[in-house]
Amino acid sequence: MKNPRDILLERHRSTAPKLDAIRREVVEVAADVNRRKQPVRELTFAATLAKAIRLSFLELVWPCRRTWAALAAVWIALFIFNVSQRDKSELAVRKLPPPSPEAIMAWRQQEKLLAELIGPSAPGDAEQRKIFLPKPRTEIAEAVAV
Amino acid sequence: MLVVAEREQLPVPQAKAGEPEAWDTLFRRYQLPLYVYVFELVHDEQTSLDLVQETFIAAVRHVGGLRDDAKFGSWLFGIAHQKCIQRWRKQSREEVLLDEIPDAPDESENNPDDLLIRQEQEAEFMNLLNQLPLPQRSVLLLHFVEDFSLEEIAGITGTQLGTVKSRLYYAKKALRKLLEEKK
Repeated sequence: MKNPRDILLERHRSTAPKLDAIRREVVEVAADVNRRKQPVRELTFAATLAKAIRLSFLELVWPCRRTWAALAAVWIALFIFNVSQRDKSELAVRKLPPPSPEAIMAWRQQEKLLAELIGPSAPGDAEQRKIFLPKPRTEIAEAVAV
Repeated sequence: MLVVAEREQLPVPQAKAGEPEAWDTLFRRYQLPLYVYVFELVHDEQTSLDLVQETFIAAVRHVGGLRDDAKFGSWLFGIAHQKCIQRWRKQSREEVLLDEIPDAPDESENNPDDLLIRQEQEAEFMNLLNQLPLPQRSVLLLHFVEDFSLEEIAGITGTQLGTVKSRLYYAKKALRKLLEEKK
């Protein structure tokens, strides 16, 4: 008396050599997969980061290296120019001496003189200025006809 | 005596670690039962050998996804089952699933040894097994060949537990009927 399992396995026992061959092939595949995985396991965080930076550089920067170099040169030139200008203006501000009391007095006298010369603004000034304001074209045409 | 995969000390962790010797041990253990299962479903030697090879390669590649090492056997048979289904779909030779089978009553006798077959009945047994509808045959083979539990068979075949129960019940009933008739 046999159980169904025995019957089924017995029926196919003759296939064992072929299955052994398949097993050996797949074990080779497993060994190969293991060999490929080995370096991945040894990767540290620093190595992964370095690899990511290297890949980014190769993918993003290296193909357009001339453009990046030109942009970098422009940025450097702008930075140098900016720094040099800032230095000059700061120096100029520092070099100016404070105005002397005589100069302040002279400045005030000039202001008074100018005010006397010009005098208070006349009431007709505003009307005179209006003459020079541009008028609508129709009004200008009427003035010419007259 | 049946060898139950879950009770064995199988080198699954070592295989996960990539040791070829561990894979050799695992494949040596499962190659014949797996071949029997696949062959009794597809009935073609070359196709069965191809499917066993594909199953083994898939196992090597995806063993990292296996959560419970004790479930290696059912996981491997699950891959083989899926490979069979893919092959049938490819060949457009899908058999009609018999999901309309009513729920089976609880069967206390779930041991594959409960069906003992005499030598002169072996041919009839195989003949009847091949006459069973594919879903029933699949469930019965998994039950016989590896003594998988109903839950494991449901996982392997991707069906509901109730469906597995009913399929197993009707398949065994049909087998028993035939064997009693022959007596």
